Amino acid sequence: MSFSVIIDWLQATLRWSAPLIVVAFGEVFAERAGVINMGIEGIMMFGALTGVMGAFYFNSLWVALLITVLVGLVLGILVSFLTISRRANQVVTGLMMNMICLGATDTIFSLMPESRQTRVQTFPVIFPKVMQNIPVIGPLFFAQPISTWIALVIPFIGGYIMYRTRWGLNIRAVGDNPQSCATAGISVIRLKYQAVILSGIFAALGGCVLTLAEVGYFSAGGMTGGRGFIVMAACVVGGWDPIRTSLVCLIFGAADAAQLRMQSANSIIPYQFFQMLPYLVTIVALTLMVKKSRVPKTWGAAYDPKDV
Amino acid sequence: MSEKISNRKKNTMYIPFLGDIAVSTGRTLLGIALGLLASAILIMISGVNPLAAYASLLNGAFGSPQAFSNVLVRASPLLLGGIAVSIGVKTGVWNTGIEGYMYIGAIGATLVGVHNLGLPPVLHILLCVLAAVILAGLWGAIPGYLRAYKGVNEVTSTIMLNYVAIYLTNWLVSDVTGLADKGAFYPMSLPLADSACLPILMKGTSLHPGPFLGIAVCLVFFFVINYTAFGYRTRMIGSNPFAAKYAGANSRRQIMTMIVLGAMIGGLSGAIETMGLKYRLYMDFVTGVGYESVAVALLAGGNPISVILAAFFFAALKAGGATMSIETGVASSMNSIIIAMCMLFVIGVGIVDSRRTRKVVSTDKTSSSTSKETEEA
Repeated sequence: MSFSVIIDWLQATLRWSAPLIVVAFGEVFAERAGVINMGIEGIMMFGALTGVMGAFYFNSLWVALLITVLVGLVLGILVSFLTISRRANQVVTGLMMNMICLGATDTIFSLMPESRQTRVQTFPVIFPKVMQNIPVIGPLFFAQPISTWIALVIPFIGGYIMYRTRWGLNIRAVGDNPQSCATAGISVIRLKYQAVILSGIFAALGGCVLTLAEVGYFSAGGMTGGRGFIVMAACVVGGWDPIRTSLVCLIFGAADAAQLRMQSANSIIPYQFFQMLPYLVTIVALTLMVKKSRVPKTWGAAYDPKDV
Repeated sequence: MSEKISNRKKNTMYIPFLGDIAVSTGRTLLGIALGLLASAILIMISGVNPLAAYASLLNGAFGSPQAFSNVLVRASPLLLGGIAVSIGVKTGVWNTGIEGYMYIGAIGATLVGVHNLGLPPVLHILLCVLAAVILAGLWGAIPGYLRAYKGVNEVTSTIMLNYVAIYLTNWLVSDVTGLADKGAFYPMSLPLADSACLPILMKGTSLHPGPFLGIAVCLVFFFVINYTAFGYRTRMIGSNPFAAKYAGANSRRQIMTMIVLGAMIGGLSGAIETMGLKYRLYMDFVTGVGYESVAVALLAGGNPISVILAAFFFAALKAGGATMSIETGVASSMNSIIIAMCMLFVIGVGIVDSRRTRKVVSTDKTSSSTSKETEEA
């Protein structure tokens, strides 16, 4: 394996991790607040579509981002209403959200045949050509689209919010002991809503990054390919810590990038086995790390204000 | 994690009084009605008269014996998948790997089925089914073991394994000599031997024995869950793990058993789809049935008898929906939207009111924390 192949792989790793990291940013907060938003897979798919639609019909990435945020907001509100206000089963709600999003994106996409073959405008590379040509770090960092840079920065913002702000403290407290929070005068329901809506918005943005960072088109029939579930696994493996979860996302992204590279490498091993790689890595990582993670105490449980 | 909430869900299934049944059934029906209404609005937005669309849907499901046999055929994987998820729900696990089990089962059936072994059909079919069930059971043992003994959440692991199963199937049907039909226009296996195909029960349709087998499996589990010691242990672990532990039930083994059993039923379902309907193993032949099975189990509240009703409801929606999309031009993906819409409303309307049993499971690491929570409570 030559040096350039490794650089290429590392570059792709960053690119493929970016959507995961963006989605994980929101999901970590939701899960810390005790709500598993399993709908992120579907919301991500929706974001992937709206990103492409916005870029195609309005020819503007800003509009694409705006629509994506709105869609994430609406779907996030839907998930939080069902799981928090109606105290519905979070697993089931998430799975049904995914089903509805898969159906809805396919339907919407089939109504806009004109955007099918066109590759839309993607996130720009902001650094000048000179910097991109620096060996090693040039292609690795400076040739990356802006979305990758954002993905590299937000885990630290997430860490700051989680551990250094009152809101982050409240979120953590709400997930661990909602009853005490309520006694202390914190609005548990409102905080949970905020966290889940945040996860919805960032899941949609992550989907947008998936399509608009490089590929530039949407494909029907489950384009996200389980990445939302991989992010949920990353949260467990990363112990619901924004920075560590992002590092885990990097590992999964690396598996994804390696998989794509090995597929075209023409080896004796059939390429389908490489396609399995990210999923197998996820299962192995979960198995190794699950006991070590400290679970938010009311993770996955509905909060009933009448509970004492 | 999921088990805690699923117990709450289960409270509604406890149903000690007739009034409760009426309330929960009423809520479910209300949810379905709202879901159909919301879908009607979506159909209208997509530019089709929803009344015409629903009329076409009904006609497509019940308009003729052929149409109804189509409903039956589509009910087969939903019945088996629904019961497979439901028995997991009874122990407090969400066995979302039906899709994967179906692929693995179909692989098992195909491996045995493509060769003409010179056996009488009954024997060949049984052999295929046996291979399917064993392979799928082994496959299900992975998430089962991880869940029961390592505390790995079964939803994530089964969904990851679904993708693995899909790619495994892709490889088998596109690359492997002796199994794949290499010159074909779409990745598929060689056709099954005649002796491995299930009989057609009604001329001019594709009605195979699958749906009746599905109903039989549901009935069997109704009795197993409600009237045997095994079933009692299962329900006890699902509804009150502490009591179960106290009574000496081995909840880890029980959870593992239920996931593996679910996997075997899923494998059977995949084998039946292959041997009764497709006669080959195709790439991507089960898109969506896995999630739909979860929806069936949810609608049925984990009750085996209700699984039959729920599976037929969804099968009618799917069969009729296919006709609807051909006749009225609604996008074919509208089908899954209608199903998911109904489910979302059922979830939204059916709020859990009773809190008779406290949640909690003792097998994974959430146990320590949740037990504290319960002690405090």
